[in-house]
Amino acid sequence: MTRLLDLGIDRIQNIIMDMAKLSEKSVTTAIESYEKGASTKKVIFEWSEQLRVLQDEVGDLAIELIARYQPVATDLRFIRSCMEIAYGFSRFGRYAYDIVDVLETMGSIANCDKSAVLEMSCTVREMIHTSVQALQSKDKNAAEKLYQMDDTVDALYRKYLREAITPYEKTDKRSFDPRCYISALLILRYLERISDHACYIGDSVHYIVTGTSSPRR
Amino acid sequence: MTHEAIDSGIENIGVRPPTADLQHRYKVSIRNLNAWFGMKQALKNISLDIKKNAATAIIGPSGCGKTTLIRCLNRMHEMTPGATAKGSVILDNIDIYDKKVDPVVIKRRIGMVFQKPNPFPTMSIYDNVAAGLKLNGIKDKRLIGDVVRESLEGAALWEEVKNELSKPGLSLSGGQQQRLCIARALAMHPEVILMDEPTSALDPIASSKIEELIHSLKKDLTIITVTHNMQQAARVSDLTAFMYLGELVEYGTTKQIFENPQKDLTERYISGKFG
Repeated sequence: MTRLLDLGIDRIQNIIMDMAKLSEKSVTTAIESYEKGASTKKVIFEWSEQLRVLQDEVGDLAIELIARYQPVATDLRFIRSCMEIAYGFSRFGRYAYDIVDVLETMGSIANCDKSAVLEMSCTVREMIHTSVQALQSKDKNAAEKLYQMDDTVDALYRKYLREAITPYEKTDKRSFDPRCYISALLILRYLERISDHACYIGDSVHYIVTGTSSPRR
Repeated sequence: MTHEAIDSGIENIGVRPPTADLQHRYKVSIRNLNAWFGMKQALKNISLDIKKNAATAIIGPSGCGKTTLIRCLNRMHEMTPGATAKGSVILDNIDIYDKKVDPVVIKRRIGMVFQKPNPFPTMSIYDNVAAGLKLNGIKDKRLIGDVVRESLEGAALWEEVKNELSKPGLSLSGGQQQRLCIARALAMHPEVILMDEPTSALDPIASSKIEELIHSLKKDLTIITVTHNMQQAARVSDLTAFMYLGELVEYGTTKQIFENPQKDLTERYISGKFG
């Protein structure tokens, strides 16, 4: 027999999976825009708005399920975590928009060295994918893997920061194109934040499955 | 002053007054408790520590032994023809099943409130509360009056009945009758109160008053309540025990039981997946 609560839980799960797909697509598209110089600001803004609306929907539904059915145990943990996970996916969308906004603000950056951003984006995209997969398969061990990847992202971010300062001190200021450094630094920062939110999603999955906080938190 | 006098009176009639032992963390410790109705075993090797000044809820599906368990805690179980119990129930440092222990004394120290309010039908509100004291030989009218008022206040009923104490107990509403029964139990200065589905016959408003009462009473008493209503258990109790088929499946803080039960059976029961 299906519990009435299960109908709501199925609905919330479907919204979360829609958000997962949309947020992953938003970040991937934003990175591709950086790489290829395509203009995607309008479409990513729309996706980001959709993600925000879906996040509100998850919050409203979660409150309704708690008020009407008083969920407990795994059900309660799942509903609570869905609110946090929805926020994470919504942030992915917002950072994707921030990335394409930087591209538009900076103008042409076709001749900039993009290797640092592209290197970090590979890891971050893998992290988004891992967090979504962890959610689908209720993999409590994904949090640990995500934190290891987050360490890599943090290290890349710090390395680029140091590199960004070094040429400014040593080279002739007239040959220095600030657009390259500023755009790369901002985008790296957004990617670093996406990486953090992917970890939090892993933490939420760990909490849903075990009832305890992720060991890294 | 009133409390001292009552305690002194109760001591004279055989009830042990509070001692330093009450500082112990657990008020009641159940060890390897088994109970039968004839040949049918209702409780199987229950071991459980009941925390002092806390509300403990016992939950589980019908027939799991919840009521039998609490009836064993004040030796009411053995009053049913053919019913037997074996094991230990330690109240402070005394095994209530020790041969030297008088079951009547235990019933005074461990009061009970039943599912259906059961005020003495021929008695007034006042006499319902005073009955236990009078039966135990206390004659001082002023002292009895003080205890009646104190007990009715403790049961959050005084303000509603203070001007009609001579009216029959049965003239009260169902919720008021249940609080009258709680006042009757409080008049004996029990250390533990057992409540068997205390709100199942009451409307939501009356139920919420009893729940608030449980919360306030645990400052001075240890409360053990049996309930089918899991939301009520979650609201009023500090600890929750889940029973199934006469066995204790899981026992923990109410937060842990309702947020992160360790046993699959507990999870399935509290989530409404069976039972």
